Formats: sequence, structure tokens, C-alpha cells
Amino acid sequence: MCLRGIALRQNFFSHYGRQLSTLAGLLGLSLVLWALTPHFLTVSNLLNVAEQATIIAIIAVGMTFVIITAGIDLSVGSVLAFAGVVMASALHQGVPLPVALLVGLGIGLLCGLVNGLLITIGRLPPFIATLGMMSVARGTALMFTEGRPVSGFSEGFRSLATGEVLGVPTPVIIMIVVYVTAYFILGRTKLGRYTYAIGGNEEAALLSGINVKLYKTLVYGLAGMLSGLAAILLTARLNSAQPIAGMNYELDAIAATVIGGTSLLGGEGTVLGTLIGALIMAVLRNGLNLLGVSSFIQQIVIGSVIIVAVLIDMALKRRGK
Amino acid sequence: MKKGLVFILLGMLSITFLSCQRGVDQAGGAPRIALVLKTLNNPFFIDMQKGAEEAAKKLGVNLIVQAAEREVDVEKQMQIIENLIQTKVAALCVTPSGSREIVPAIEKANRAGIPVVIVDTRVDPKTMGESKGKIATFIGSDNYEGGKLAGEFIAKKLGGKGKVAVLEGIPGHETGDSRLKGFRDAIKATPGIEIVASQTANWERDQGFNVFQNILQSHPDVQAVFACSDLMALGAVEAIAAAKKTGQITVVGFDASDEARKAVLSGAMDATVAQSPATMGAMAVENAYRLLKGEQVKEEFVVPIKLIAKENAGATDASK
Repeated sequence: MCLRGIALRQNFFSHYGRQLSTLAGLLGLSLVLWALTPHFLTVSNLLNVAEQATIIAIIAVGMTFVIITAGIDLSVGSVLAFAGVVMASALHQGVPLPVALLVGLGIGLLCGLVNGLLITIGRLPPFIATLGMMSVARGTALMFTEGRPVSGFSEGFRSLATGEVLGVPTPVIIMIVVYVTAYFILGRTKLGRYTYAIGGNEEAALLSGINVKLYKTLVYGLAGMLSGLAAILLTARLNSAQPIAGMNYELDAIAATVIGGTSLLGGEGTVLGTLIGALIMAVLRNGLNLLGVSSFIQQIVIGSVIIVAVLIDMALKRRGK
Repeated sequence: MKKGLVFILLGMLSITFLSCQRGVDQAGGAPRIALVLKTLNNPFFIDMQKGAEEAAKKLGVNLIVQAAEREVDVEKQMQIIENLIQTKVAALCVTPSGSREIVPAIEKANRAGIPVVIVDTRVDPKTMGESKGKIATFIGSDNYEGGKLAGEFIAKKLGGKGKVAVLEGIPGHETGDSRLKGFRDAIKATPGIEIVASQTANWERDQGFNVFQNILQSHPDVQAVFACSDLMALGAVEAIAAAKKTGQITVVGFDASDEARKAVLSGAMDATVAQSPATMGAMAVENAYRLLKGEQVKEEFVVPIKLIAKENAGATDASK
């Protein structure tokens, strides 16, 4: 009984060690903020932070899948803008809400699948394929709207961002659902296991009979679709879809993923880590705002945190070996 | 090793926070007013910040200035406003990054009982009308009039005949759109003048350079350019220099930033339209302060605007 307990504990730490250190970082950060400002640790501010984290957190789920396959997706911000303006225009044309939402998700999925096909069938490096898509999706969004934002929607649509369930903002609920689903997919399904296998050693994955092309394409499709979901929430939040929305979101999503312990070399990473990573970024921005820190210093702090987080991660990895 | 690094991280953060902390609570009983600017990497908003800070010092107000990194980042601006609401500021002054996108943030401030003073960029009246939001007052320049002044200047300079190019801001921005409309109306009144190209350079200097370089390729005979901001105009100045056409093309900008004034004095630019960002910043704080004292304020304040050419480029503020 006792021995089993110890074995379980060791297993627990080796399995969740990295997330625990990230979580410790988040808690430590929160502790510092709690000590410095009375406005941080209030229910309304914590819900506020969670809500602010949702957009990047949702995009970062797709990014985590992509990075685990040893890929990268630079197009997520542009795809968000493109999916957002098309969905918004559909709503303005009087398309029923559920259909418009499917249009938003569909555009994202489509862009992601094109990324995947360019990478698998076209054999382009993911960096290049998604860099191209970043520009194409942005340009298409601008052309589609002639550069203007599409704004003003029904209360029904806006409630996706402004609504609450038992006091919790709807976007936060949606984020939790996305994370639970992603956790399940990554840990319990073929898609998840193959995602790790492809990133760990693509050659070996191929030789062991995994349809690498299919699953890689699906992973990029998933990342695109989640950008579509983020587009829906962002549009509802701002009551406006902008063709220039989501600029640099890919970098925030990559940062959240990497802070969360996912290796850019592929093969390892967890969505739980990514969620904590996204929360660290949001808490940091929130805290710096609450304290009235100048926006210049904010950028320095955020950059430093990304570097230090990855340094810690690498140190842990070396120790583990 | 791991613990060490975690402590270094925490230590680093605490130092940053503590060093920035001091200004926050020291004012004690003074009312806390927040000024949210579009960005702080544009001299226009830095001038506005200076004006606001001077006014705050005079009135004994604790002023908090925050800005997003990028001028057009509406989501980041919304987050800043949400976070400031959490700190229970007494009043908010905002230069909206988006005329429509600011409305949900205004609604949130209203719900928290915080009065909102809008500065520089007007809120889209239609979006505002459809919402439950309400602003306390608007302080800004007459951008339409400014665009018109620029158009009339170019028409006169070219002798009522010639080809003109325009560098637009980001479409959908009230400020840029109004300037453009004023400019176009002035040009329409002069039938001999034709706008041969009108493209956006997204308010940015490097894009002003690139876009105007391209325009020069397709319309080598262009005689004048109106840029909806000085940054874009200064970009165009460089493009003109690169094409070895300095002095042959009339350049008119908007904002009368220090650098643009120097360019007007040296002859690299011909004119710029002066707004008074410092006055706007000061008026924003003053009126927010009056609101907090329970005084009535006007619905709208129009800050004077004027054309700066070589004769008057030395002056500093349009209102002076």
C-alpha cells in the first residue's frame, strides 16, 4: 500500500513535473501581484483575466498540436481575421446565427487544411507554408472588406462574449470546453498519439504504418478551426470584425505554448501546460496594467519572462536526463 | 537549479513591479484619472501625454497613462480599459483605437459607473446609438476642416491644375476618413486638379515610403501628395529623395509633429496641418476632473486647427 503510494507519487511528479513548475511560476506571479495591489486578487479581476486569456489560449491549443508535430503555424492570426470578417459579413447578410458560426469555423478549417496539404503533399517547410498563408489570408480579408471593419451585431451573437453562466463569462466556459476536449484528444485518441509520434520521430512514425500525411493535415486543420473559433469570440467581444485583427497573435500563441513546456523540436508538450502559459501571459499583462507600468517596460518584462521560462524548462530537462 | 531559477524569475518581477509601484498609491486621496492612448510610439500621443501630465500636476490629479504597443490594436486597448476598471479609476480618458470597437469598452466603464471622456478620435455614432453606452464628452480637432485646408493649400500651390496622390490612414478610422473627405471636397472644388492615386499606408512611416515609391512608378508625373499623417508624409519625403525628385513634388502632411515642422522649415515638406495634442490632453484631464466634481461639461469641444507652412512652422501649438 505504502510502496504503491510512493510509486504513484514518483510517477505523478515525473509525469506532471514540468506543468508543476509552470504552475508554480503562475502562482508565484499571482502572489507577487497580490502583495503589490489590492485590485489583483478579486473575483471580478480573476474572471477578467480569464476572459482576456481566452482568445490566445484557444489559438494556443491548435499551436500546441502543431508544435508537438515539430511544426509551426504562423498564419493563425491572419486566419482569425479572415474567418472573422467572412462570418461577420454572413451575419450582416441575414444568414442564421448557427450557419454563420459554422461559416467562421469552416473558413478556419479550410485555411488550416490548405496549410496541411502544402506541408504534406507540397512538401513545403511549415514555416514557409504558413508564412505564405499568413499573407494570403490577411490580404483576402482586406480585399473582402475593402479594409473596413464589419461591425454591429445582434444581442444573440454578442452574448457569446458578453453572456455569463453562473457568473462565469461564456468565453471562459468555451475555453474550458476546448481544453478538456483537447486534453482528451491528445491523451486518449489515435490522433493524439500519432501527433506525438510524428513529432518524436517522423521517419519511425511513417515506418510503423502511421498515415503521417493525413494526421499532419488534420492537425493543421484543427489549428485553423480553432482560429475560426477565436475569431467568433473576438468578433462578439468587440462587436466588430476587423480585417487587421489578430496581428502578432501567432507570436503570443507560440509564447504561451513554449512557456507551457512544449518543445519546439516536437514530440512533447501538453495542453495543460499551454493553458497555464496563456494564463501567465494574461496575468502578467493584467498585473502590469493594474500597477500602471509603462507600455514600454511591459514589453521588456513579457519578453524576459518568455526567455526565463524556457531557460527553466531546459534546465529541468537537462536534470531529468 | 530549478528553485534558483524560479527565485530569479520572481525576484526580477518583484523588482520591476516595486520600481513601478511607487507612483501608484502615493497620491492617496487625489482622484485617479486614467488616460488610455492609442500608442506611445507616435509623437502626437506623446505630446498629448505631456499636456495631460501638466494639467494633472496643476489640478493635483493622480494620472495613469497606458497605451497598447500598436496603434490599431483594439483588443489590447479593450484589455487595458478592463484592467483599469478593475483598479477603480475615477474617470477614463480614451483615444479610441477603433471608432466602433471602443463601444463595448465604454459600456463596461459605464456599468462600473466610470465617466468616459473621448479624445481625438470620434466614436462611431451609429454603433454608439445601438448600444447602451454613453460618453461624457468628446474633445478633438475638426479633422474634416483640416483635410480641407490641406486640399486648398495644394490647389493654390499647383495653380489650380495638376495631378495629386493621397496616402490614406487605415480605412474605417474616423480621423483619417474625415481628413480624406475634407481633402477630396476641397479638390472637387478645383476642377483642374485630379487625384490619380489614393492608397493606404496604414499610418506608418515605412509604408508611406513604400507606397509612395510605388505611386511614383505608376504616376511619374504626380505633382503633389497629401498624407493623412506626418509619419506617412515623412515616408513619402524619403521616397521622393530616393527618386531624386526633391523639391519637385509638393508634400502636405497632418499633425505638425516636430519632425514635420523641421521638414517644412527645410523645404522637404511644404505644409502640415497642426492639431494641438498637448491642449487635447490637458482638456481631457481638466474636463474629467470637472465631471468628478459634479460639474456639467459641454457635449463636445473642438480644438483649433491650422495649416503650418514655411512662414509659421516655428510656432508650437495650433492654439497658441
